[in-house]
Amino acid sequence: MPLSGRRSRLAWAITAGLALLFAALLTRQAGVHAQSPAQNQLTVYSPQTSYSVPLLDVNGQPYAGLVELFEPLGSVDARIDGKKYKLHFTPPGGRPLEVQFTGGKDKGKVRGNGYKLPANFVLQNGRGYVPLSVTSEMISRLLGGETELHPAARRLFIGNVQARYTLELHKDNPPRLLLGFSSPVNPTIATEPGRVRLTFRREPIVSSGPENVPYSDPLISGVNFSEHDGLAELDVTGTAPLMANFADGGRTIIITGAPAPPPVAQEAPPPPAPANPQNPSPQPRQPAAPRFLVLIDPAHGGNDIGAAITPSLPEKDVVLTLARRVQHELANRGIAAGLLRNSDVAITLDQRATWTNAARPALYIALHAANTGQGVHVFTAMLPAASLSPQGFLPWDTAQAAFLDLSGSVAGSVAAELESRKLPNATLLAPLRPMNNIAAPAIAVEIAPPAGNVDEIASAAYQEQVAQSIAAGVAAVRAKLPEVRP
Amino acid sequence: MTRRVLLMFAVLALIALGLTFYALHLKRKVARDEQLAAEQQRALAPLTNGPPTPVTLYIASDSDGTLRRTQVKVTLPPERTERARAVLRALFGEYLQSSSSHPIGAGADVRDVYLLGDDTAVVDTNAAFGDAHPSGVLAEELTVASIVVTLNANDSKIQRVKILINGQERETLAGHADLRRFYEASNIGQVVKDLQ
Repeated sequence: MPLSGRRSRLAWAITAGLALLFAALLTRQAGVHAQSPAQNQLTVYSPQTSYSVPLLDVNGQPYAGLVELFEPLGSVDARIDGKKYKLHFTPPGGRPLEVQFTGGKDKGKVRGNGYKLPANFVLQNGRGYVPLSVTSEMISRLLGGETELHPAARRLFIGNVQARYTLELHKDNPPRLLLGFSSPVNPTIATEPGRVRLTFRREPIVSSGPENVPYSDPLISGVNFSEHDGLAELDVTGTAPLMANFADGGRTIIITGAPAPPPVAQEAPPPPAPANPQNPSPQPRQPAAPRFLVLIDPAHGGNDIGAAITPSLPEKDVVLTLARRVQHELANRGIAAGLLRNSDVAITLDQRATWTNAARPALYIALHAANTGQGVHVFTAMLPAASLSPQGFLPWDTAQAAFLDLSGSVAGSVAAELESRKLPNATLLAPLRPMNNIAAPAIAVEIAPPAGNVDEIASAAYQEQVAQSIAAGVAAVRAKLPEVRP
Repeated sequence: MTRRVLLMFAVLALIALGLTFYALHLKRKVARDEQLAAEQQRALAPLTNGPPTPVTLYIASDSDGTLRRTQVKVTLPPERTERARAVLRALFGEYLQSSSSHPIGAGADVRDVYLLGDDTAVVDTNAAFGDAHPSGVLAEELTVASIVVTLNANDSKIQRVKILINGQERETLAGHADLRRFYEASNIGQVVKDLQ
């Protein structure tokens, strides 16, 4: 082979190699710029709190931000000097502990001792990231004690926080499956024909035995536990529609067969079917007996999280728990109550109003939560009073105007009950949707932290007090509110 | 042949060099944008020159859920809509300060104020106002109420106010306060009494 030909091939090979190298470098550079939004999350459970840490995908490997990882566990001070990253973490009541790494290097120091990462430390946008696989060991080195990482499921347990569940199948008629938990739980519940799925986002639920438990029962076929994407799921399957109910203050969830037809407003009532003049109903409906129904509307749901009470506690979850407590307290006082949503589903504001008006409740209560302010605010609609007859046609945008007096009575009664329990409160008018569209007495209740401590907004003690106040306030004015014929 | 390969090598090297400079440029641009966003949190400067005039602002406070009447001096333009905009920018400026008792979204601004007839003002805010406003019934009500009564206090002819976000009608401000409606200053006045 002539020399020039060999040189040419060599030059081609070098050029191709360089081109590949450039391409790899450019891809890496572009990748780092394009990956800034969190692609998935790590859920961390500690004895004090549960929180989520967004994960960064670097060359296919998940990385966790050190500040995000440690901030909820104590105070954090992170500094960058060139490529050197220093983080001082001070646990509550402890002394500062130092973590030191260099961007692009795999060696660093944790509490003064050398520490080797399985992959290079990443500095991006002024933040330091370590591979997910070392998060457990790093927390253990800084905090002491045991930690356990479920890397595939993106779940990290600090201390012995893991909570196990018990299963108890009662084969009476109708059969019931009791799911027992050591402390109250608040999963989101999704139902579909023959299946109930309980999703635990903040509870450190882990499997208590075999992940798949089959039953030879005519109704309940089995329970399957799984964990993924920073959450745990219990999937109960059956041969007929199933429903879940909370008992024992949220420590027990009872799975039973869903009754047919469904009970009044246990879930969102469907909008009324339009009349069809071509197919008139052959049997005229017997007028139903008047009944007193309170419809509770836990605001937001689904992608609409409402206010971020804390980074890991959305308003939609706080109000769903509160709604269940209010329903329970009303039931204790002999008042039937339904929830507009009993799981993490998105409902538009217009749907909320439409479904409420279709259910013809005696009272509508919207529940909200906020991390600003203090105490409980009870709202009625901000509308000029109008001389509308509640029995006649009502304009959509101002339907609530016909009920303002009754709404005000309920708000005053609830405020009085809050006052008697020494809970800071105020009664106000609010331009809050969908209250203006509700054709029934309506109030909205927004809870804020009781004394500036945001975490307490979700505490069972505080929510119980608020729920009891609402229920007692409603019970006190029940005689004023008309029963409604469905 | 060899020369051609060398030429390609040189071209690739030049491209790599150019892309390196471009990456550095992007990095600096991101830093500049972040700095700009931080600067927007500072109080907004008045739009025109001239002697400062006292204007009345109703400033919300989240901690106790109140509105407080206060006076500041702002340089006001002669035109009525521009004057209303300057007053609202002074109000937003108070909320954008780091020590604000009622923080609103960083970078929030009033794009324009339009008058419909003599008594109705349409306030067009920017996207940052709606996208970054803290969510909550009371927090949003305080913002809406302070805008409406501040406008009415400085131009008593303004009796109705409508708030737009980035030129568009939005269902709610941040999930709670109704932005589809026109707010009557007389209705809000009652709320303000409750909040004082």
